[in-house]
Amino acid sequence: MTAAGFASVFKPGQVEVQLIESSEIGIVGVGEATLPHIRFFNRRIGIDERELMAKTQATFKLGIEFVDWARKGDSYIHPFGVYGGKIAGVPFHNYWLRQEALGVHTPLESYSLPIVASREGRFALPSEDLTSVLSTFGYAFQFDASLYAKYLRGFSEQRGVKRTDGKIVDVKLRGTDGWIESVKIENGAEITGDLFIDCSGFRGLLIEQALKTGYDEWTKWLPCDRAAAVPCENAGPLTPYTRATAREAGWQWRIPLQHRTGNGYVYSSPFISDDEAASKLMSRLDGKPLADPRFLRFTAGRRRKTWNRNCVAIGLAGGFLEPLESTSIHLIQVAITTLIDYLPTTMEFDERIVDGYNRWIEMEYDRVRDFLILHYHATERDDSPIWNYCRTMAVPDSLAHKMELFRERAKVITYKDGLFLEPSWLAVYFGQRVVPRAYHPLADALPAADLESRLKTVRTQISDAVAGMPTHEEFLAQYCPADPMPMAAGARP
Amino acid sequence: MNPVQRLVVVGSGATAWTAAIALHRALRQRKLEVTVIDTGPSADAPIGYWTLPSQRAVHAMIGVREADVLRTGATFKLGTEHRAWSRGDSRFLHAHAEIGTDIEGMPFYKYLQLAAMTGREDRPEHYSVAAIAAGLSRFARPKEGSPLTSNFTYAFHLEEAPYVAMLREVARSAGVRRVEGTLAQVHRAADGHVETLQLANGEQVPGDLFLDCTGRQAQLMNLVEAGDRENWSKWLPCDRQWSALANPQENPPPLTRTIAGSAGWLWWAPLAQASMVGHVYSSAFLSDDEALAQLKKTVPDLRTEPRLQSFSAGRRRQPWVGNCIAFGEAAMELEPLAGAQLHAGQLGIGTLVELFPLDARSQVEAVEYNRIMGEHADALRDFTMAHYRANSRTGAFWEATRSEPSPARLAHKLDLYRASGRIILLDYETFEEVDWAWLLLGSGCLPATLEAQIERLVEKVTPADVVPLHRHLVELAKSMPPHAQSLRPHG
Repeated sequence: MTAAGFASVFKPGQVEVQLIESSEIGIVGVGEATLPHIRFFNRRIGIDERELMAKTQATFKLGIEFVDWARKGDSYIHPFGVYGGKIAGVPFHNYWLRQEALGVHTPLESYSLPIVASREGRFALPSEDLTSVLSTFGYAFQFDASLYAKYLRGFSEQRGVKRTDGKIVDVKLRGTDGWIESVKIENGAEITGDLFIDCSGFRGLLIEQALKTGYDEWTKWLPCDRAAAVPCENAGPLTPYTRATAREAGWQWRIPLQHRTGNGYVYSSPFISDDEAASKLMSRLDGKPLADPRFLRFTAGRRRKTWNRNCVAIGLAGGFLEPLESTSIHLIQVAITTLIDYLPTTMEFDERIVDGYNRWIEMEYDRVRDFLILHYHATERDDSPIWNYCRTMAVPDSLAHKMELFRERAKVITYKDGLFLEPSWLAVYFGQRVVPRAYHPLADALPAADLESRLKTVRTQISDAVAGMPTHEEFLAQYCPADPMPMAAGARP
Repeated sequence: MNPVQRLVVVGSGATAWTAAIALHRALRQRKLEVTVIDTGPSADAPIGYWTLPSQRAVHAMIGVREADVLRTGATFKLGTEHRAWSRGDSRFLHAHAEIGTDIEGMPFYKYLQLAAMTGREDRPEHYSVAAIAAGLSRFARPKEGSPLTSNFTYAFHLEEAPYVAMLREVARSAGVRRVEGTLAQVHRAADGHVETLQLANGEQVPGDLFLDCTGRQAQLMNLVEAGDRENWSKWLPCDRQWSALANPQENPPPLTRTIAGSAGWLWWAPLAQASMVGHVYSSAFLSDDEALAQLKKTVPDLRTEPRLQSFSAGRRRQPWVGNCIAFGEAAMELEPLAGAQLHAGQLGIGTLVELFPLDARSQVEAVEYNRIMGEHADALRDFTMAHYRANSRTGAFWEATRSEPSPARLAHKLDLYRASGRIILLDYETFEEVDWAWLLLGSGCLPATLEAQIERLVEKVTPADVVPLHRHLVELAKSMPPHAQSLRPHG
């Protein structure tokens, strides 16, 4: 992604991009589900959406279904879209709460078009007419990460990125200031550069092994540190959403693609063994497994500086947040676009620019972190040790304050920059059974008769609009049908 | 539950009346009773205000028409002209307007940054119809249809006494109760919540929620608690102001003017029938007599006896304590350089409506209110401070002010700008990217380098590409009516 981003924004002669990749080292391939922001990235660098989707066996994604999180048997969807709309300047959910208080019960889900469409397995592109209820949602993709990497490699090479195949065996630092001078690859070649971008994954070949930057761990709030991943055959219709099911020691993902379904169990090693996690995973697949499970290890947290000297760590080298809210690819995208924005004309990187970049990236990570912790902490589950731990742990003050304000009066604290806006917080608060004691006093201003009819209008508009949408599979078939894949290739993790 | 039914506002200035009317209107469906304890003329009241464009939204919120505002002798304001903040003859404008039009998605001011960095003489003023019109003493409201005639906004110059008289009348007809009197003491419940205010004449005014709009005296807050205050005077050392009315200028420009002095700055703002003038300075660097002499020398035609007021830059850490909230200057004192005097009260109103307490005893709102208002206050402080940081004026006062290290959030912003030309905004900022661009470019504060991808785009732009835009804007500005003509109601 980084090479593609740089090669499309900067022309050869301005910035020369060289990619060093070892085909011997596999790629992780978690983070197959994305967020709607990826469409901005695609547009910015000139990727054709239909082509990308067809080449990566992609499906559409309207949100994430969370199963068994607050209580066993619960299901809610975090949608890419709003609930209702503001009435007299007061956010919609306050009116819904008022109606609930009056004893008229309607599912909050029925006020969100992407949730209703998800539940019915339907999809259409959003309307550009902002007055239409069909404009109240966004969408993202679920795709095969290996095919995505392959696609981007072709895209980058067409735009002048030079690719070198080889393993890095040594990193040479400049004596004067410890900046990276060059990297040496297995065949003995030395590659020099002004800026080194470390996309080497968890181990952080440059940022950590060479520069010893340091890492802030967040394990006490996000205790999952392992994952087992396995693809399986599709069974049943392709859902336009990802599913995350809470399990006895973590959670399991399910990501439907055109040719197969990706699955994984993200777990916490103190609470379950690798073998047991793998066997639980294998017993909970929709279809026939297409490979043996692959194991991953990680530590939730963030590199102390993702830009250190002349090295910028992007992706897992920069930090790791579990893929519960599909933020992995998004955080890569943020790092790339922010770096492109901040990159100065000279390659003597001014400390002030580096600090500015690092502060921005920190803010992005910290805000995602709080949102993820909410899923674990706001639960009533007491059936297994991990949930007892998470339910009773102390959360960061920034999150505790947010939760209190929601619990007391349904107020969502939002921010100008960073991921997850009001609807996302609402979905997860309500979904995790954080029930407000009261709503905004101004929601009482609407006469009771109007309240019921206005809410009903929203529900009707949504259900009518969804009824007119094609099914997800019908839409995929005409928009971006993928070539059938031989199973062996599809089985690659 | 014990809902808030009675709101009591203490104070007599524009902040007090605006808050009373706005909250009365916003909560009318809940039948909120609003009482203003009118504490009468205050020695601390400003002679008037130069506002921000947000004042237009306030007028809409409290149901005041622009014609009513103009009848108080107000004038329009398209921006502020700052003179002598760098060299003696330097001047720049901060217009309430965009600068130029985007270049392939990049803000136009990036072109001006590059021009200045490469030694080409050019100015943001040339690319804003509002700035050009202000220089020609012309005014028209923004017009939809073309980005060039709609990409600006405007504010007002208001004289306190007639403006407040107008607000008082609006409040009366809206049903806000007014009680004249002086605050003597408060009666509190065991948990510290205020139940009743007692006036000097013995009258008792009960309430559920109390707003202190008594300005820097903070009469109510000081009875409730000593008040933990953050002092900003090392960053903003000005602590005195002389102000007066002066003779009017015929067809005045629709802008406020500041002129940097030896230990602060003088200002001039037009009214329809007079001018308002003042001298804001630091008593550590200039005596009151000398400061007055400087004002009289700059403005020989003073019409009223100049008034001396003291202040101290800083803010209350907890503007909301128990069921009392400090509003406006009672919460934050800041010199009027950025024109945000009334704006601080407006931010309080908006935040209070959003967090209007469910219950007279609930405290969760106060924590969030104090957090948000603290962020707002720091952002206003930073923008005000940036006027002192970005310039290159010499003199003991100026050098001392610049040499004090900035608070971290401002330091980060200015550091990043100086290194790369990039302007970043945090949450809760009043001033936007373009405001910072007017100020920093105008102050002659230039970046060392530009962001590479931006330089690539703007380096292709030549003066020949932008001169036609400037000429077109001059023609548009010339077609606007004279400012004085726009001031006649319906004119």
